[in-house]
Amino acid sequence: MLWLLKAEARKLIRPLVWGTALAIVAFCLLLTWAAAHNACAAMASPKIPDICARAATAQCRQVIAHAQAAARAAAAVTGQLAQPGHIGQVAARMLASLPGLLLIAMIAGGHWGGEWGSRTIRQLLCREGRRGRVLAAKWLSIWVVGVATMLACWLALAAAAPVIAAAAGLPRAHTAWWSGLGWSASAAGRAIVVLGLFAAVGTAASTIGKGQLATTAVTAGSMLLALLVADIAGIGRLSPATYVQAWMGFAPAGYLPTNFWSRFVSGGQHLGALAGLAGVLAGLAGVLAGLAGVLAAAAVAAVIAGWRFAKDVTA
Amino acid sequence: MYQPPRLNRSGMHVIGCTRLTKRFGPVAAVSELDLDVAAGQVYGFLGPNGAGKTTTIRMLLGLIAPTAGQARLLGRTLPDPRAVAQTGSMIEEPAFYPWLSRRQNLQVLAATGGGCAEAEFGRVRGLTGLSEVAGRKVRTYSQGMRQRLGLAAAMLGRPPLLIIDEPTNGLDPAGIRQIRGLLRDLAADGTTVFMSSHLLAEVEQVCDRVAVIARGRLVEEGPPAGLGATRRRIRVQITAADTQAAGRLLARWAARQLDGGQFLVEHDSGQDVNAALVAGGVIAESVTAELPRLEDRFLEIVDQEEDGHVVAAEG
Repeated sequence: MLWLLKAEARKLIRPLVWGTALAIVAFCLLLTWAAAHNACAAMASPKIPDICARAATAQCRQVIAHAQAAARAAAAVTGQLAQPGHIGQVAARMLASLPGLLLIAMIAGGHWGGEWGSRTIRQLLCREGRRGRVLAAKWLSIWVVGVATMLACWLALAAAAPVIAAAAGLPRAHTAWWSGLGWSASAAGRAIVVLGLFAAVGTAASTIGKGQLATTAVTAGSMLLALLVADIAGIGRLSPATYVQAWMGFAPAGYLPTNFWSRFVSGGQHLGALAGLAGVLAGLAGVLAGLAGVLAAAAVAAVIAGWRFAKDVTA
Repeated sequence: MYQPPRLNRSGMHVIGCTRLTKRFGPVAAVSELDLDVAAGQVYGFLGPNGAGKTTTIRMLLGLIAPTAGQARLLGRTLPDPRAVAQTGSMIEEPAFYPWLSRRQNLQVLAATGGGCAEAEFGRVRGLTGLSEVAGRKVRTYSQGMRQRLGLAAAMLGRPPLLIIDEPTNGLDPAGIRQIRGLLRDLAADGTTVFMSSHLLAEVEQVCDRVAVIARGRLVEEGPPAGLGATRRRIRVQITAADTQAAGRLLARWAARQLDGGQFLVEHDSGQDVNAALVAGGVIAESVTAELPRLEDRFLEIVDQEEDGHVVAAEG
């Protein structure tokens, strides 16, 4: 199995992988830069009701003071989050939401779906006929790329975010650089589980799509569908997206958009983190078990995938 | 690191098929195929397009499951990934990871199969005549170079059995001669080579035994020289003025008129043919006795099979 993982790791050193990972990191940096400037702009001119802008009543002075205090507080929170210890939360939550899903969809498409497209699937299966091992190696390698990208994103943000915050003129955070490291580590730990789920969906999608574009479309499409379903009353709580929301506990943090998930999912918070974890793990186990032809609603597609993969390789 | 066992040449069958059948819906791609290939042979597998050659090879390599029947590879009943892992293979056009170099591709393939000694890469490169172009990506390779790389990949780790589809496809005449010599050397060293090819002259020169399949069924099997009709034929060259008279005189045998005043007479005595022509007042320019080439016998067998099929369908 280690030899197989070594081979998979070697295949991952390609422009598609580092190009996509770099794009995700650049996206996070861009968001941080925009958030820092938005926070500064809001601090300089807080949102004041029109009526108070004209009148100078005592009530309006109170409203203006409140607005200025709120803008300063939000800017302070943004400035604090821009410190190396805290900023890991941004990286983790981004990778556990749509940017991470997009990354995994692209990697799964190129790394696993592409084996059919480039017809290398025959070489692969002639050398390692134990298909369970091949699937496990693919899943693990896609997952590792997701986790590595998250760490790279954290590192890049840790280096750049304090500079961005200072350049934008955000209030200086009076905390040590390692402050918030625990929160970031916790968010990263949770994100790793979610990335495992995304990787399992991507692996299953590849065996159905049997091609790079089809895999990317099925992976992204299935999770986007889960996001849409999550907002439907009655069945929303059954959606994997709801469990991801509950497990990650996505919440606003100053001006920094820490995820691209919670705005699509209204439920999930009431489930609690443990229920969320159970859901995510059940989804993960469901997809994996489905590939072996055994289990689960979210794995209906994966059951079909496993069946087709075991039956024929018509690359 | 795995080292495959060396097989002796004691007559053990390294490939055995018993009533092997593969159906795609109502179409029988391979029908009740019985085949035995002894160790140390170069075995040719012939058939027209769509005869079921590649389907058979895919079944032998575990890429598709047979509908019925049984196949044995290196003494193991399929499906058995261990038997397939011990077999070097190249199916149809060899496919590689285009963003990797030759050496990296070989390293990845070797690692997928459990690894091999570093010296193996140099050995297979030398055997297949691959030129050393350091760091050049495989996507820039010509078809001939890809073919050589495919053969090199198949020979990695000194497998006791090679299953190769069209090994000389895309090679120049010097390359074809080199691969022919290589296959003979491998067989002399105890490696069994099972190859399909459309280049019948090559098959005739290199193979110990051949099997011909048509419409998924085995129609002939044996040494190339003993395949199909082995009667001598007489080729007669007549001047244009005597062609009509010669046609009448040769009508007592099964004779075909070819282009350029030539007749091909299904008879084993040139003297008889010449005497008949002289008695009728026709002087031949040349009378030559010849053994049919493998190509002629192959076409004859396939034509008979096609005719039989049509008659059966009409009946």
